[in-house]
Amino acid sequence: MSGGSPGWSVAVRLAAREARGGLSGFRIFIAAIALGVAAIAAVGSTSRAITEGIALQGREILGGDIAVRFGGEVPPADVLAALATRGRLSAVTLVNSMARRVDGEGQALVRIKAVDDTYPLTGVFRLEGGVSLADALAPAADGTIGVVVEPILADRLDVTVGDRIAIGRATAEVRGLIESEPDQVGTGVAYGPRVMMSRAALAATDIVQPGSLVANTVRLALPDGTSDAAVAAVTAEIKAAQSDSGRLVSSRLDAAPGLERNVNRFSQFLTLVGLTALIVGGVGVTNAVKAFIDRKRDTIATLKAVGAPGGFIVTVYLIEIGVLAGIGVVLGLALGLLPPFFAGGMIAAALDLSIEIGVYPGELLLAAAYGFLTAFAFAIWALGRAHDVPVSALFRDKVAPERRLPRRAYVVATAIAVLLLAALAVATAADRFVAVIFILSMAAIFVVLTGVAGVIRRVAGRVPAVGSAEFRLALRNIHRRGGLTLSVVLSLGLGLTLMVALALIDTGLRRQLTSTLPERAPTFFVLDIRSSELEAFSALVEATAPGTALQTVPMLRGRITALKGTPVDKIDAPEGARWALSGDRGITLSAQPPANSTLASGAWWPKDYAGEPLVSFEDELAREFGLSIGDTVTVSVLGREITARIANTRKVEWQSLSINFVMVFSPNTFAGAPYSVLSTAALPAGDDPAADRQNEKRLMKAVVAAFPTATMVRVKDMLATVNDLVGSLTVAIRAAASIALAASVLVLAGALASGHRQRVYDAVLLKTFGATRARVLLAFALEYAALGLLTAVFALLAGSAAAWGVLSGVMDVPLDVNPWVALGAVAVALVLTIGLGLLGTFRALSAKAAPVLRNL
Amino acid sequence: MPDPAIALTDVDLSLGSGAARVHILKRLGFSIEAGSSVGIVGPSGSGKSTLLMVLAGLERVDGGTVVVGGERLDRMGEDALARFRGRSVGIVFQSFHLMPTMTALENVAVPLELAGRRDAFERARAELESVGLADRLGHHPAELSGGEQQRVAIARALAPEPSILIADEPTGNLDAETGRDIIRLMFEARARRGATLVLVTHDRALADACDRRIGMRSGEIVEDVRAGVAS
Repeated sequence: MSGGSPGWSVAVRLAAREARGGLSGFRIFIAAIALGVAAIAAVGSTSRAITEGIALQGREILGGDIAVRFGGEVPPADVLAALATRGRLSAVTLVNSMARRVDGEGQALVRIKAVDDTYPLTGVFRLEGGVSLADALAPAADGTIGVVVEPILADRLDVTVGDRIAIGRATAEVRGLIESEPDQVGTGVAYGPRVMMSRAALAATDIVQPGSLVANTVRLALPDGTSDAAVAAVTAEIKAAQSDSGRLVSSRLDAAPGLERNVNRFSQFLTLVGLTALIVGGVGVTNAVKAFIDRKRDTIATLKAVGAPGGFIVTVYLIEIGVLAGIGVVLGLALGLLPPFFAGGMIAAALDLSIEIGVYPGELLLAAAYGFLTAFAFAIWALGRAHDVPVSALFRDKVAPERRLPRRAYVVATAIAVLLLAALAVATAADRFVAVIFILSMAAIFVVLTGVAGVIRRVAGRVPAVGSAEFRLALRNIHRRGGLTLSVVLSLGLGLTLMVALALIDTGLRRQLTSTLPERAPTFFVLDIRSSELEAFSALVEATAPGTALQTVPMLRGRITALKGTPVDKIDAPEGARWALSGDRGITLSAQPPANSTLASGAWWPKDYAGEPLVSFEDELAREFGLSIGDTVTVSVLGREITARIANTRKVEWQSLSINFVMVFSPNTFAGAPYSVLSTAALPAGDDPAADRQNEKRLMKAVVAAFPTATMVRVKDMLATVNDLVGSLTVAIRAAASIALAASVLVLAGALASGHRQRVYDAVLLKTFGATRARVLLAFALEYAALGLLTAVFALLAGSAAAWGVLSGVMDVPLDVNPWVALGAVAVALVLTIGLGLLGTFRALSAKAAPVLRNL
Repeated sequence: MPDPAIALTDVDLSLGSGAARVHILKRLGFSIEAGSSVGIVGPSGSGKSTLLMVLAGLERVDGGTVVVGGERLDRMGEDALARFRGRSVGIVFQSFHLMPTMTALENVAVPLELAGRRDAFERARAELESVGLADRLGHHPAELSGGEQQRVAIARALAPEPSILIADEPTGNLDAETGRDIIRLMFEARARRGATLVLVTHDRALADACDRRIGMRSGEIVEDVRAGVAS
């Protein structure tokens, strides 16, 4: 304020006086801000509680202060010796295998964890009944190994403590049930329950062989009380020493990077959904402020008449709006603090991690900033109109038509607020690219929705005056400037588009996982069949389940140590490709291109090729790493480094679930090296699913009995596990999306309520000229239905486009427009618009005509 | 003697509740012959506008009988009253009460359409032409002057050819000259169609131009003067 404008104190005083009118007209405003802020605060607080939990328990999760992952490589003695100079060591080996009942009547996929005497270096391991781990894992005199298992495995195999089970070539006695395992989170997602045994016992099972999916880790515990800085320094030294090896070194400061990354990504996604709720609420903010300025027209004109400049008046009302936004933000923060307290237990149980529920000022500040910025961005445009309310409003019923835009200062202020909102979302995002895409999409949808509303209005205004009076009233109401059209299309459109997009992504993914894949996918994956056993294995499969299609390929395990001569720790890999450089990968050899893949560039090597080692690289990954034909790839296999030249790149159809690898080497590359066989078995499908299931069971029983070291995974079980995981994530996504829809409903209800006065007027006039209540109701219902239907159609189109973008662009899954989703969207739109609209109209219908006609 | 167009007997009406309840119409009784014109005058708060609302079936009475066009309004339901109005009563308000989203033509057509007339738009056009608005058919109320808006309102009231025309201060929002035009228009239309006209006005001269003048004060009739005859 300048040029003789009254000061801030006067503005505050006036705002306080003005606020005496109470919160009437601002309930939706406050609720909309509170809802969005609550969603963002809840997501932020919960995510922080998890990451704090990981940070505080980093040592337990990692199983030490520092861990070196060797993959399938047996830790070399010199490395162990060097590590041992720094503190206590513990070696852990993880490998998947099968556990079987000794009577052959049941088997289960398990995750074997072989530990040494020093396990656990940190944290407390407990067995039910208080048995000591060392006693439980000690071998029996007859050579029977001792194991402890997760209770769920005991249930699955119907065994109990003291019973015997078979693992690989060994017989094991179940000596205890695991109650608490401190490093479970750090050992990653497992498809089977845990079986723990000694390292000697693992050797007795004979399940580890070249090509097995083995993860060897050596943990290092530094002296108690070692500071974080010292841990970081030692970690850096070990990393430097291991830099060329491709071995991964991590510390307690970064104990579960995968989990942390997933938590951060997921919370970012939910935050963006929360931001959608806030932006939908922004439409309610604009509506409330517009209505407020309309109500205050006379007051504004009076203030101007007594000497208040336009800018001062905007300041007065901005203070009021700021206070109201503050109330919404505080309410939202209070509400947002609650979910972590309620859901914390469930999350902790699901992650097997004690999470640190608390009040995190940073997360709350961020949610508050989103709330205030949204309120400002959506209010200042409408508030700016107060600047130009003419004093003549006091003397005329109808003033000259409003300027289309407020003054430039308010347009600029709106633009700055919107940009700040976008910048905040991008700056705080775990994945900035996703955040930018989200913001651009939101902006596009917002602009398109505004355009759609404009088109609907214009078309409604041009429809010829035909049809019934009810139809025409509906059309003219849709056409009315300042009517419901823009508010309904924007608020319902945004919420519904989000719902449709998420529903289609969800159904697309589920369909892909549960219906499309299993038809084409094999019945079983069989791992760890030795090359020498291949013939016997094939014969057994044919004898037990005739007609089974068997696909077998040699498999070795190796990790990439350098690309184009650059060690992997010096490569700044793109986010989506980093997985290929972390740890062991399965690799294979082949004289011809594998099935379900096509050459994208280069040429396949001749069948009898005997030159320098060649490799075929997966095309998309090759592009991510910037690899092209002729570049070199160095892999470490069985402790030996081999460099091969890229001969071609392949496009792989991963969804087929048939065997495929990122890297396929020319057969001469590993000539003479021992390998195992990876196999897929596709049983012929009959007409009777029960008979098919019996066939599957028979084959599994026969293979596991004949090849005890093999691991057999039923694809449907694996997909069911993935499906369950997707299901859990979907619940959280739906919860967040329903908040956005709730914001839509709020804003919609507010918009419909703000039009109530007009509805009463219309209803009374229609009744005065002979319309029955049913006909008045019909006129309004037609308007609401038309708006709801048109909005639903747009939401279906926009939501489908967004879902298609995500599914085909990111996940390579085709879009499947489920008719139920479409019908659901239309039903939701119609129920909301007609339902909420008529709820208000019933009151309008019962309004007495005389007072309305007198007062208007 | 022909049946009266309007007959009120012992009509009582109070509005508001508790301490704020006001007795508006007090045991009111009179009848109006079909085809006549009646001007109702009285100070503000005398109950004259409320009386009009009662005659149009827009306000329900607490007691007494209200017979308009041969029908007992006090016994009719809300929808029946709406249909009755559409059929028999044309109303002109001081504030015009046009639908802002509709054109002049559409505003006039609404009651005809509600009555199920197939020729609603032709009829509406003819009515607007008869009030001199042939060149304003496609205009919205906001694009019309006050006088033009009131002409549209008169056309709307007359379009269904009601037997009773009710007007509440029809010139109250207009300048004197426009007001005179509007009154002339209303009287001509009434005379042409033989409708009964009841109008509320502050303008004693206007009331005197009617066949009969009823004066009200505090909800009661204090004078009833027929043209050339004192009561």
